[in-house]
Amino acid sequence: MNMINKKANIVLWLMLIVFLAFFPKLFGIYYTNMVVTFAIFSVFATSLNMLMGYTGLLSFGHAMFFGFGGYGTALALKHIEGLGIFPAIGFGMLAAVVLALVLTPIMVRVTGTAFAMLNMAFAQLMYVLALKLYTITGGEDGIANFPIPGIFTESLRNSSDHFYYLAMIILGLCMWLMWFFTKTPFGQIQVGIRDNAKRVDYLGYKVPQSKAVVYILSAAFAGIAGSFYGLFHNMVSADGSLGMGMSFMPIIMIMIGGIGSFLGPMTGVAIFQLIDEFILRYTESSELVMGATLILVVVFMPMGFMGLFSMLKSKWKARFTGNAKMEKAS
Amino acid sequence: MKWLNKRIFVIGLGLLVLSLLMGISVDSQAAPKSDWAKPNAAMDINDIPDMSDFDPNHPAVLQGDTIKIAVVAPFSGPASINGQIDYISIQWAAHVINKKGGLFVDGKKKMVEVIKADNQSSPDGTKKVCERMVLREKVHVLMGTQGSHLMKIINQTAEKYNVIAANFGANSDELQDATNFNRNAFQMTQSVSQLGRGLAYYYGKIRKKEKKFYIICQDYSFGRGLAAAFKQGLKEYYPEAEIVGEDYHRLFLTDFAPFLIKIKASGAEVIYTGDWVPDANNLLKQTRQQGITLPFANIYMDEPVGLNEVGVEGTEGLVNISQYGAENPAFKTEADIRNNKMWNDMWKNKWKAPYNAALYEWPLGTIGSYIEQTYWLLSVIERAKSTDPEKIIKVWEGDVYKFGNRKTVKMRACDHKVIQDFHVYESVRPDKQKVSMNIPPYYWSKERSAAGPVHVIPAEAVLPWMDPKLDRCKGKNGWGE
Amino acid sequence: MDPTTVMYVSQGLQGLAYGMILFLIASGLNIIFGMMGILNMAHAAFFMLGAYICYQIVAMTGSFWLGFLFAPIVTAALGVLMQQLFLRKAHVLGHFGELILTMGIASVIVAAIKKFWGTQNLPLSMPDSLNGMVSIVGISYPAYRLFVIGLALVVLVLMMLLLYRTRLGKIVRAAVSDREMVNALGININLVFMLVFGGGIWLAGLAGVAIAPILTVFPGLADQVGMDAFIVVVTGGFGSLVGAFIVSIIFGLLSSYGVQFLSNFAPVLMVCFMAIVLVIRPNGLFGVKE
Repeated sequence: MNMINKKANIVLWLMLIVFLAFFPKLFGIYYTNMVVTFAIFSVFATSLNMLMGYTGLLSFGHAMFFGFGGYGTALALKHIEGLGIFPAIGFGMLAAVVLALVLTPIMVRVTGTAFAMLNMAFAQLMYVLALKLYTITGGEDGIANFPIPGIFTESLRNSSDHFYYLAMIILGLCMWLMWFFTKTPFGQIQVGIRDNAKRVDYLGYKVPQSKAVVYILSAAFAGIAGSFYGLFHNMVSADGSLGMGMSFMPIIMIMIGGIGSFLGPMTGVAIFQLIDEFILRYTESSELVMGATLILVVVFMPMGFMGLFSMLKSKWKARFTGNAKMEKAS
Repeated sequence: MKWLNKRIFVIGLGLLVLSLLMGISVDSQAAPKSDWAKPNAAMDINDIPDMSDFDPNHPAVLQGDTIKIAVVAPFSGPASINGQIDYISIQWAAHVINKKGGLFVDGKKKMVEVIKADNQSSPDGTKKVCERMVLREKVHVLMGTQGSHLMKIINQTAEKYNVIAANFGANSDELQDATNFNRNAFQMTQSVSQLGRGLAYYYGKIRKKEKKFYIICQDYSFGRGLAAAFKQGLKEYYPEAEIVGEDYHRLFLTDFAPFLIKIKASGAEVIYTGDWVPDANNLLKQTRQQGITLPFANIYMDEPVGLNEVGVEGTEGLVNISQYGAENPAFKTEADIRNNKMWNDMWKNKWKAPYNAALYEWPLGTIGSYIEQTYWLLSVIERAKSTDPEKIIKVWEGDVYKFGNRKTVKMRACDHKVIQDFHVYESVRPDKQKVSMNIPPYYWSKERSAAGPVHVIPAEAVLPWMDPKLDRCKGKNGWGE
Repeated sequence: MDPTTVMYVSQGLQGLAYGMILFLIASGLNIIFGMMGILNMAHAAFFMLGAYICYQIVAMTGSFWLGFLFAPIVTAALGVLMQQLFLRKAHVLGHFGELILTMGIASVIVAAIKKFWGTQNLPLSMPDSLNGMVSIVGISYPAYRLFVIGLALVVLVLMMLLLYRTRLGKIVRAAVSDREMVNALGININLVFMLVFGGGIWLAGLAGVAIAPILTVFPGLADQVGMDAFIVVVTGGFGSLVGAFIVSIIFGLLSSYGVQFLSNFAPVLMVCFMAIVLVIRPNGLFGVKE
């Protein structure tokens, strides 16, 4: 049974990869861009989930890492001539990591509401600074139309397909790394910290240092997502990347998708995008639809869609094993 | 009987002389005509069809092959009022053209279809909706919007997919500079540099009274640009003026009082601001609440509800510069009266929320400006006889067009910016508004001071800024020649 | 008094007034989070609702004072309705669920306001009795702002009295520290929390009514003040009314003198202050550790 399962898994993965590889040709630019957006926000939301779902630390300011990633890349491309695409993304990630390093000493000492608020405070500070230091950051207008280097071509700006592949590979890699992280012993500790920090401490694991590592990793991945966002739009702006809305977006997506499960954030992003498309086409009352969705999810599906899904899965499994038992019995 | 005839003759002669004098005085209000070019085409206001079937809430559904224009603007969220204003203006112009039979392009007569494209006031939303419009709806023109950072995205998308981007609402000079310029994008609307310099010109060359100015603007590129333009204009046109203070406040500011205290202490005679609603309204309101009666030199302090709240006295003396403008009186011919009354009657009796609000009473001001700009766009498409961007660009670059309100505009070929006269009006009490509002009841509103005398800022004084780094414009003067 | 002194003193008075405005807006948020642990993201939306309802009452009756009296009550009623219908169910997920739920409700309220009253600006003027200038220490000052200062002080005193000098206040404070016990004593816990929540929303509505005459009533009103209220509560410390009051005054003065001396860098001052306070005292200046 296990061998067949393993083989089935590999086949499924291969099919998925082939599907994704041919996606642009099959579905055109519009849907390709949707998938790129999906990838960017999946990484962003999952990076927040590393803090929330696993370590139990809710942050109201995660947009600051997203934004730093975007600005890091944009500024690097604007000021350094001939910079390649990978170093540019690297700059973005670096910017986010540096910010996280600076904040870590403060952040590891707090939990709960204080942690959430502190992050919000600093995100707000970054936002206001981005607006005020407009000679560097472009203020409200942000930085736009900076050169985007290509890998095989002159510029990625002209090739949606190449950008798509680059995004899928790097963002896919990020997702895999984050998943891998949760399977490591270190990752398991994070769940422990969420559930009972004191016990983890007594067991000899250093809680603050663990928190720091997760915080910085989470920031790094958010930074990469932000970097891609900036490249994708060829623009970074304070409102677009650093605003409160951007801090709340991953929280909402995790909520809709389901906290604590790895696929939760991704599911939330997908559903969010579907709702967005729906709003775009059929109604002008975007606030009403979004608001109603949030209310419904919280009241009727507190564990998110993944929660619903796993509940259905266990019911389905129960029925099957129940049947099997009956067959055996008879 | 002879003496009666003589009396009649004298009285008749007197009346004749009187009417001639009045005619002359009306004319002297009219500006020196700028004859920097002859228009290639003009909007004929005598030719406006019966629009009584126009309902912005239920636009006509068009079949078949149409000329598709997307209005990319906020239709949801806090700025949705902008989308509404944009839509009714553009749809009105399109409807006029459609009722006249449409435009002859690509070999046949086609109607103009206006599609709403909600950009949700965000860069993300703008990009998505533009792509949807181009890739799925196959629009030929993307028209946009307030917010220069969003307009940049619209322009980029138009270049990428080779359609036309027509900017009717974003005023940043940056949009057509060396970094951001592309051939598919046309800025039909005013730019920041023209507004600031225009007001400076008015104070220095026309009004020549107050000398001390306090500048208070919103702290972002638009506000800073407006302040810089005003300062530059003062240097050029009013060197005796003195800037007694300069402040920038954050957007959507709750409390202006700290700034007002500074203004009070500065000895300023006029406050210059580029604020738009709600900051414009809150600034005016709170200034009057603090007992400060100084006039505002402004650009967007023209929202009727806010002005009514402050009242006739509080709004007297406001000076506003506008690109819509026309010389006085507002209704010059029978055709003007008829066309504007058509709109006004429907506003009063037919249209439902949100279009029955005070803002939409007359198709003048911002709404009028958007309508005229849309006529221009459609005229260009008509003369290009095609929706092919190359043909449209060929016609539009360097085009000179005459608006329905008799204003001439020219599209500067090298950087796609518009050369035009501007108009500055002073707000006066209702009993003095007749010079502008020349049909009954002879005032715009009893609740506020509104347009009175209008002054022309000639185009040559406010040529739009040209980026010296833009290759296409190297070696050309302000007229683009 | 010479003009420069007048200017500095005016800024001080002004700062106090603005601080009081901030306090009015933030007090409701503070009470609800401090007493019930609910982070009410819909607070600003209720603030806006209060302003709109007041506009409606004024439009129908012509009296600002009627609006002043009834708009907060109506707003509070709607808030309690929201709480009974939805918020109680969100308790399953704890703070996180309440957060998301109130965000959803905020969106729905804004959408409803736009549907009902439209997107354009609505006029709301102060009553004629308060429309004018008074002279304090030789400085001309708008009467309405004095009214707002007075109102904020009254609210503070009233709240403190209610919480610390009445039996109801005692019950509320007990319920906050130990729900089960109070429940066991036979007191209807749900009723208590309903009152607390209603009180918080009443304050939001009151703030909306009081401040709307200085601002423009339009659908973006909530966004305009939402962040400010949050920052005050966060910096002052959740659950501490006195903390919120003091921090409001500090912010008001910072804002006034910030504009006076630093002009457009004033907003940075506020956020910096918040960040510094939180680094030293993560639970706010007067906050109580959870």
